[in-house]
Amino acid sequence: MPPSIPPPDREDLSQLGRGPLTRWIPLTLQAPADPPEVQSFAADPETTSGRFLLRVILSVRRVTVPAALAATLWQVGEAAVPVVMGLAIDRALATGDAGQLVLWIGVLMGLYVVLTAAAKFAIQLTAYAIQLLQHRLRSTLSTGVLHPVAGGAHAPDGSVVSLMTNDVGRMANGVQLVIMPIARVVTIGFIAVSLLTTHWILGLAVLVGAPVAVWLMGVLSERLSRDTREYQGLLATTVGLATDVVAGYRVVKGIRAETEATRRYQQASQETLVGAKRNAGLLGRFLMGSGVVTGVFVAAVMGLAGWFAVDGQLSIGELIAAVGLAQALLPQIQSIANDSIPNLAGSRASSARILDALQAEAAVASESDDAVPPPVTQLPVLEISTPTTTIRIEPGELVGVRTDDVTAARVAEALLDPREAGSEVAVRLDGIAAGELSAQEYRARVTFTPHRVTLFSGTIRDNLTATAAAPELVTAAVRAAACDDFAADLDLPVGADGNRFSGGQLQRLALARALASDAPILVLHDPTTAVDSVTEHTIAERLRAVRAGRSTLLITSSPALLNSCDRVVDLLEDAPVRVGRSS
Amino acid sequence: MSQASAALPVASGRETAREVWRLSRGHRLRLAAVGVLGIVSTAVNVIPPLIIGFLVDRVRAGTADLGTVAMVTVAMVLSAVLGAAGTAVTIVLATRVYHTILAGLREQLVSRAMTLPQHLVERAGTGDLISRTSDDVTAVADAAPAVIPALTVTAFTIVVSLGGLAALEWPYAVAFAVVLPVYVLVMRWYLRIGPRVYAAERAAMSARAQQILESQRGYATVLGLGLTEQRHRSVLAASWGVAVWTLRARAVGVMLSIRLNFGECLSLATVLVVGFVLIDADMSTVGAATAAMLLVLRLLGPVNELVFVVNDLQSALASLSRMIGVATIPKEVGEPSATATAGVAVRLNNIAFRYGDGPRLFDNLTLDIPTGQRTAVVGASGAGKTTLAAVIAGIHLPENGTVAQPGRTTLITQETHVFVGTLRDNLTLGAPTATDDDIHTALDATGAAGLLDLLPDGLNTMVGTGGHPLTDAQAQQLALTRLLLADPELAILDEATAEAGSTHAGLLDRAADAVLHGRTGLVIAHRLSQAATCDRIVVMELGRIIESGTHDELVAAGGVYGVLWSAWEAGRSMNNKVGRTGS
Repeated sequence: MPPSIPPPDREDLSQLGRGPLTRWIPLTLQAPADPPEVQSFAADPETTSGRFLLRVILSVRRVTVPAALAATLWQVGEAAVPVVMGLAIDRALATGDAGQLVLWIGVLMGLYVVLTAAAKFAIQLTAYAIQLLQHRLRSTLSTGVLHPVAGGAHAPDGSVVSLMTNDVGRMANGVQLVIMPIARVVTIGFIAVSLLTTHWILGLAVLVGAPVAVWLMGVLSERLSRDTREYQGLLATTVGLATDVVAGYRVVKGIRAETEATRRYQQASQETLVGAKRNAGLLGRFLMGSGVVTGVFVAAVMGLAGWFAVDGQLSIGELIAAVGLAQALLPQIQSIANDSIPNLAGSRASSARILDALQAEAAVASESDDAVPPPVTQLPVLEISTPTTTIRIEPGELVGVRTDDVTAARVAEALLDPREAGSEVAVRLDGIAAGELSAQEYRARVTFTPHRVTLFSGTIRDNLTATAAAPELVTAAVRAAACDDFAADLDLPVGADGNRFSGGQLQRLALARALASDAPILVLHDPTTAVDSVTEHTIAERLRAVRAGRSTLLITSSPALLNSCDRVVDLLEDAPVRVGRSS
Repeated sequence: MSQASAALPVASGRETAREVWRLSRGHRLRLAAVGVLGIVSTAVNVIPPLIIGFLVDRVRAGTADLGTVAMVTVAMVLSAVLGAAGTAVTIVLATRVYHTILAGLREQLVSRAMTLPQHLVERAGTGDLISRTSDDVTAVADAAPAVIPALTVTAFTIVVSLGGLAALEWPYAVAFAVVLPVYVLVMRWYLRIGPRVYAAERAAMSARAQQILESQRGYATVLGLGLTEQRHRSVLAASWGVAVWTLRARAVGVMLSIRLNFGECLSLATVLVVGFVLIDADMSTVGAATAAMLLVLRLLGPVNELVFVVNDLQSALASLSRMIGVATIPKEVGEPSATATAGVAVRLNNIAFRYGDGPRLFDNLTLDIPTGQRTAVVGASGAGKTTLAAVIAGIHLPENGTVAQPGRTTLITQETHVFVGTLRDNLTLGAPTATDDDIHTALDATGAAGLLDLLPDGLNTMVGTGGHPLTDAQAQQLALTRLLLADPELAILDEATAEAGSTHAGLLDRAADAVLHGRTGLVIAHRLSQAATCDRIVVMELGRIIESGTHDELVAAGGVYGVLWSAWEAGRSMNNKVGRTGS
């Protein structure tokens, strides 16, 4: 039986966690179902990572200010619990006054109501601020790095995934720095002032001792969290290796390399174990160090208070309260040292990484052309110039280009992003350099289908209608790309990375998606390399009809596809060659 | 064969416990030490509140002097240092044992996963295996910092503190114990709700990562088809999906805190009431009540922690049972395999096969492949070519009939996988003892020697995910060289050169030729030019062999193969018909 728990659906969501007693309470501070409209964060070249972090965490003040106030109330309330208990013991238990007992239990309950409510708002507002910032950062990276409108400086590599998940998360966590540490410092101040009013030396001891204790424990926890990151890196490598070996499972089985693959995994696993043991050692040192620092600190405050009590300078009630306050100091010191200091280090590092990525791209894409270009009424002439020749596609033509891999890749790159500087291949539309058109104007005319297929999660229909202007185009495209045999049901999900389909089927779906766009000019790069020869033949026969009245460029050396073209430009010969369709 | 349980097994609670106990062999002495140290150090940690209570009573009685204060302070410092040291050593020891056992288990898991019969894995999907070797391993490792202190120090703290309370005056302990059912109820509520919300949050997170990954991998598709805006919206929708669930999870966390605060307030009020009654009856002192209050305050932290940790503990246990489920699949007793006849490398005798409950793909299929010959299989998609290859390779077991194949049979398909590691690691996967000379010879033979010049560090270049990128054609060249080094008796190439695109076809065909030289070969041909060079061609249609013979025989017969061949020839002759027109 699989143990995975099915996630509750949206309807279920509103009731989750509430029993018969609490069902009537409205659910506050929840996210609306639809994402809010957000603006990108500015990342100009002069911005430093520290300033960027500051700009980000200060951008949601309407959430963070109330959150910081609530958190302060919550933490001061927590610190007041031992004080109230001390007072209750002094006033009620020591005197045997039942009225006082009732009074102080009432005070205790009131205190709990206030601090619980404050905690609720502080926690939920903080979570809301973090999610809002994450979303806005992700949106910034999405337009800036993952989906640059005009094409970026370079295609985003795999690190963008970690950037948009881990780094965004860590940087957004930085917003807690303007909430919890403020509350904790105020609480430490409150404790110090309370002690000052009982005895000035006790207050002074806290005012001097607390920062020293925070600093000492911060040093200890910095070292530990650095090593923990290192260990987590090791663990991720080992896990990545296992994923890699299992992802290549068929290949390993295919060449009977099970033993060797296992041996390699064991080696990495043992290295990780060494890292885990070292990290455990450092954790031990940290626990030891922080236990001693806090224990000695409390013992010192206690000793002083005891001395003043013996000396008659403190009453019993004040002694108990002093002990309680010293006790309440501990979680405040521990949290600043263990949570806030590593948080600051982590969010600064992530801020630097995110800013680097944004600035690298900001230098390239600058123009913002939100204006929707007018529809293309007349088919333009497409000209592609390589250093040796010019390929000209007249309106309505189906032209094949046969060339070597290197030239094909250069032509493909130029067609994908004609504004890239330094390309040896020039693209012109009606004689105008494509680089002078806006990105939108160019895309409205030229649609380019890369050789490498990517389907997006969702159904077949989701993928095909992504480009289609009209539904009937989808049906025609499915038939032309010979998908009708396996894609009869368009509402089938394609699976992660289209893993429900074979390589040939994926190529046919990608071809159908391209054809459904009904683009004025469509460029197909090696669209059928994984399609069997029989099916390829069928596709070649249907291609002309579906592209009638539109311009199409096929970069391929498939004889079947080339055979269906009006003309073939063969760059594998010494000089450019053109042929008419043999009819 | 039963098809009912397609998913890989999950161990039951008892099986998990038994396996964990077995794996703890060799660590049990250390685990006993953890138990003893844990109890001793938490006992030391209970001393300070008792000392404070003692001091309060002495001060009240007026019998305290500076000597008493000094003694009390020294005792507190000592107990802080000893308690911290004991706790640290306990946790370090426990963490090391935990990670050692986990390392053993994950190695056993990967080793077992690699040796599982492939049809089991194919039926469950490699995704299941990947999630067990990655997500589950990570979940169990990440649970360590929460689970270990909970199971050692925190649990003991509760027991020892209750003992401390009882040592003061037994009614204090009873008073606290009365509140415990509240915690049990809270925990049960949380276990019903928490896991579902967290599961939904995790599912939203993986959907988000998937969307980002798809945009990154499909960068060229997004740009070329003008899907920038749509993909941006999809990524943002997935991003906000996480926000919705995270805020819900935080709200559930807050509901838990509210319930726990209620329990806390109740415990403290109970201590006050019990103390009041006891002092009134002269059965307890104010100092004892102070000590009881401090003990209860100390207890609340660990109790809350345990409630929070139960969720981690539960998901770690679920992951553990999923790991153990695969790691302990019993090794099957050698499957009966038909013995081959001299001169015949592969003999399929009356094979029947179907996928799961699907329609029967083969019925009474019989085929012999003579030793040392090269046989090609040709046919449209869906004809059963790949299934035939998998049955011969032993990946799928036939429903009926017998299969005889050589012991060292290897299969490579279109699906290439470049493993994370150096190029050398990749090449020697099937031949761990191969020397660099062997590797160079093999690279020369497959025509891949040129690849080395393109890589920055030659054989030491890191390739695979995150390493130096290889094109599909290069990856397939690597796979063919790997196969050559593995030196099998029978090599099956299932469209292994199809991904090459057009212009690398010749290169990969030559590599395939080198791999097949001097051994029995089965080629699932994609291009007819490949088939034409084989000793024998088998044409398949809908799971049946409809034609079989040499290329010349089949062309002369003018059947299905003959028609395909003339279409292919027509396409090829295109390039011979081109005339020059100049530009």
